[in-house]
Amino acid sequence: MSDQNHARAKQLIAQERVERISQAERDWLNKHLHECANCAAHGQETEQALRSMRTAAIPVPAGLASRTQFRVQLRLQELREREPKRRALWAACAASWLFGIVSSPYVWRLFQWFGERTGVPKLVWELGFGLWWTIPALFALIVLLMEKVRQGGEPDGMRQSK
Amino acid sequence: MSDDAKSIARGLQKRDPDLLDRLIEQYQYRLFRYLVYITGNKERAEDFFQETWIRVLERGHQYNGKSKFEAWLFAIARHLVIDWQRSRKAQSLDSLTDPEQENPLQFANEKEPSPLHQVLSHETQENVQASLSQIPAIYREVLVLRFQEELQIEEMAGVLSVPLSTVKSRLYRGLEALRAVLQGGAA
Repeated sequence: MSDQNHARAKQLIAQERVERISQAERDWLNKHLHECANCAAHGQETEQALRSMRTAAIPVPAGLASRTQFRVQLRLQELREREPKRRALWAACAASWLFGIVSSPYVWRLFQWFGERTGVPKLVWELGFGLWWTIPALFALIVLLMEKVRQGGEPDGMRQSK
Repeated sequence: MSDDAKSIARGLQKRDPDLLDRLIEQYQYRLFRYLVYITGNKERAEDFFQETWIRVLERGHQYNGKSKFEAWLFAIARHLVIDWQRSRKAQSLDSLTDPEQENPLQFANEKEPSPLHQVLSHETQENVQASLSQIPAIYREVLVLRFQEELQIEEMAGVLSVPLSTVKSRLYRGLEALRAVLQGGAA
């Protein structure tokens, strides 16, 4: 028997477990294993190795599941408490946008009037008009930062020290 | 995908507490085993176990039920381990089982022998454990996913975020390494 046949047999032994082999390949392999003791032993070793691995038991530490369930429930409660605040923030943003769209012609006229009255160059009051719309975003940013600072100050048993 | 996966996805989107409790109970053995294999350390695996379920709660809306839940669960666990590892500026999964700082694979718990423990002799168990710890973590991981968790190669590629060809080549190498170490251990 050639070395090529043994190499092919070993390749098929692995392939059979990793992917699939065709019926023709299986027939060839079975025939070869019947005739070659070395390759048959190789196949048995592979099977034995996988069996040993499958049967290596790893018991879960007592109470791990219940501790985890407890932590998850606490976190869930925390997330639910935060949800209304977040919703309120989104609602405020939406209202701000809506009001902004509706009022923009009036705000434009206000800036124009103010610019003409004070003699400020057109480019400056136009820029002021543009910046006016960042005020709600800045306000939201301040609220979020304050929230973050507040959370940072609270003792947090939820986080794991790593 | 099965109705079960769809109902899990719906439950996770609603953050159903009963579903989460049930999933933790149901997948505890598989997730813990996977974490022990990839971290090589039981205590660390416990931390990641809890952290994984917190992440499942927070990111549950991202699971769409089109893939197996366990594949998604393992991917989350794996990402947590990788993130932790990156924060320690490690280079690969194998650094988790750095023989300098650790900690061979810790499988057995003498206090609670499973039926399998009773069937298998202590010597055989020790041999298997010692042998497995010699296999690089990236191969150990694919062996676990394929032969213990029985994931398809496509699902494994999703968990590991690597191409199919990489999964296959790792499996072939892992299989050979497993056979070699167990054969060596038995000799």
